[in-house]
Amino acid sequence: MRVIVGGVGYPDLCDYSIGIEVQERLSLRDAPPNVVVEDLSYNPIAIKQRFDDEPPEAQFERVVIVSAVKRGDRPAGTVASYRWDGVLPSETEIQRMVTDAVTGIIAVENTIVITRYFAALPNEVVVVEVEPETHEFGAAFSSPVAAAFDDICDLVWSLATDDNAVARLPVGSLASVTVPTLWVG
Amino acid sequence: MCFKNLPVEFDSSGKPFLRDGIRDPYATATATPPEGPRQLTSERIEELLRKNGHIKSMDFDPVTRVAGALAFHTVADFENRKVLEARSVATLFRGYEVIMVGRDPRDAIYITSRACGVCGGVHSTCSALAIEMAIGCKPPPLGILIRNLALSLEFLYDHPLHLHLLAGPDYSQAIVEPTNPSLYERAKNTEARHTAIHGFRTIADLMTDLNPLTGKLYLEALHMTRVAREAYVLICGKYPHPQTIVPGGMSSTINLTVMNEMFVRLSQFFDYSKKLALIWDDITEFFYEANPEYKKVGARRANMIDTGIFDHPDSYDATYENCNEWGNRRWATPGAIVDGKLVTTDLKTINIGLEEFVEHSYYEEWAGNGETQHFPTDPSGNPLSPYHPWNKVTRPRPQGQNWKEKYTWDTTPRWDRQGMEAGCYARLWNTAVAQKMPESPFMESTGHSLKMRVPAGALPETELEWHVPEVWNAFERNRGRAYCMAFTTLIAFNQWLAAMERLKDGDTKTSTKFEIPKRGTQQGVGFWGAGRGYLTHHLTLDRGAVANYQIVTPSTWNASPTDRWGQPGPYEEAVMNTPLLEETSDPTKFRGLDVLRAIRSFDPCMPCTTHIQSEGGLITREVNTCACGLDD
Repeated sequence: MRVIVGGVGYPDLCDYSIGIEVQERLSLRDAPPNVVVEDLSYNPIAIKQRFDDEPPEAQFERVVIVSAVKRGDRPAGTVASYRWDGVLPSETEIQRMVTDAVTGIIAVENTIVITRYFAALPNEVVVVEVEPETHEFGAAFSSPVAAAFDDICDLVWSLATDDNAVARLPVGSLASVTVPTLWVG
Repeated sequence: MCFKNLPVEFDSSGKPFLRDGIRDPYATATATPPEGPRQLTSERIEELLRKNGHIKSMDFDPVTRVAGALAFHTVADFENRKVLEARSVATLFRGYEVIMVGRDPRDAIYITSRACGVCGGVHSTCSALAIEMAIGCKPPPLGILIRNLALSLEFLYDHPLHLHLLAGPDYSQAIVEPTNPSLYERAKNTEARHTAIHGFRTIADLMTDLNPLTGKLYLEALHMTRVAREAYVLICGKYPHPQTIVPGGMSSTINLTVMNEMFVRLSQFFDYSKKLALIWDDITEFFYEANPEYKKVGARRANMIDTGIFDHPDSYDATYENCNEWGNRRWATPGAIVDGKLVTTDLKTINIGLEEFVEHSYYEEWAGNGETQHFPTDPSGNPLSPYHPWNKVTRPRPQGQNWKEKYTWDTTPRWDRQGMEAGCYARLWNTAVAQKMPESPFMESTGHSLKMRVPAGALPETELEWHVPEVWNAFERNRGRAYCMAFTTLIAFNQWLAAMERLKDGDTKTSTKFEIPKRGTQQGVGFWGAGRGYLTHHLTLDRGAVANYQIVTPSTWNASPTDRWGQPGPYEEAVMNTPLLEETSDPTKFRGLDVLRAIRSFDPCMPCTTHIQSEGGLITREVNTCACGLDD
């Protein structure tokens, strides 16, 4: 099984750079031949095109994505991992996500939804979310996220290399998105 | 005399001076713009809302299918189908001006790139130009050509993205059929004029393939963005944030292999640009013929401003002193257009007429309260307003929204105290009228049009001609942008050919060494352009560090709020002139389609938040990368 591990986020944005930092740390490890560690922090349309470029006989079958995701109902530094349930939002919402994607917004929801909608995403999608605290320009993590960093790296590595670890994960949903509204009144 | 409002005149040698005998020449009461479109007062709007059931507010928050965070407030008269009030709201703060202060100027190339998730390269380049001017560093010819080539490729990403992903769906079957069924019926029976080029038999066929997510034109645009991106990264290393733009040129290695790989991609735009121009010709003419009221959608005075773009390697010397000369030799001519007339093509005149106000913006005033004006003149001794970016101080002050007071993070740039519009079509218009473009085998500026001979691909060589339009509205913006694809493709091809000639002669030098001065004060300005038009970065260095950095983007102009004289910003003015043409009389069923067409035709590119702590508190906790919009 070919597996791709990717971080999603922005550089120099403190806790919101966790995906990139984990990916960079893991890229220093000796990966087995079936595992690719790669920056996935760019335009999701371009990521779809990147997945499309894999030869048919060597498509990725699992993607492990690590990113900061603010849910707000859990302490900073909380790590949650799950197998994505594969539920896509409405086409209106997907269209909005494409707009965001091509105009520069990088987010784990966009990356997953757009690449799945256009049939490019590997079948098995594992998400590792880290609840962020600090959201500002800078290189340092908040204390809770910094404390969790090494464990996050190990967790992501095990999900890339250990099928049983993945099988034990619950099925989960992406963080919700807001639908824009026209107000008349 | 090009200034009608500012008290600036020109002597017999063309040097500007302030008119004598005016005690405070830049006081806002001294130089007042003439009568023109004005917002109704808030009191009047409140009265109308109170007394008329058919007058309602219609708010779009956020405006979708635009880059970044834009909200729009309107008050509409649904009986008479017109908009009475329009307020453009940039909802996020960027803060690049604040981040830059105290840094090494070279950081600006990488930091300001983050101002936009589409066009990082234009910010990097504009920044490099500002530094080049400040430190006196002229790039070598090949560096100039390659820079032109890189940025034209960026626009080949940008324009199709807007035309077929952002604005295009407004003209698609999925949106037109439910909102204007009789129009869609007509489209089914209307044959397209340019079937031979674009392949669509009827206008309805064309509309169907503009459908979001599934339409062939939507999907083709996604594919073409890849082609442009691939060509761009051959020079710039990464997209959207380039790694090879430096003061004094480009750090890319350019050889025949790179050039050939680039041509493989660039040549794909020969046919695509023909298709785009003629698709948008067909859409525009169909709507005009179906209902002439569509000519009013997004209509406003043709007041436009552009700094020009794409330098000529024999002319550009990176000095402010000679910027009129090298500006006029650009492939896209600089210019200010007032009421449809080109009034100047000189960069110094464009620069000294620029002011930025914050009457309705979440910033504190920095001028007019007896504060010292840093630069009463530009580096050539020409008069500068205290409201000019070189004199501006960014003082964010978040507070509650109030239409009478402050309601947006965008500032209010004005040229000669008038609301100007930025767009790639201004580039087209200036170049067509000024007739100053360098000689090209592919393009000809006629004084009223721009002729473009697009080379053969699978389609034969085709001559396109963009005409200065008789009316200025949403359709002409989109049509202009579509023709800009051909214009940009041909400019890129010209640069490619010129660069190949240099390589054949053994010239591979793409940059000039430079040093950042550690003493004294230096000024620079980058005059460049984004996919959406006008872009300036004004820079002041003090002892080797950035003392002031000010960015004015296309959407700073276009999304600007009403100014202190009551003149609406360009989005606002365009929406106020827009009739509501949806086929429903029930306000609850209105989708605000024509209002959205008006706004989207400008190709808004709004926010980029960067988490700034001001004296007034935390400004925002939202993040995204795209930001050609707000104040910085």
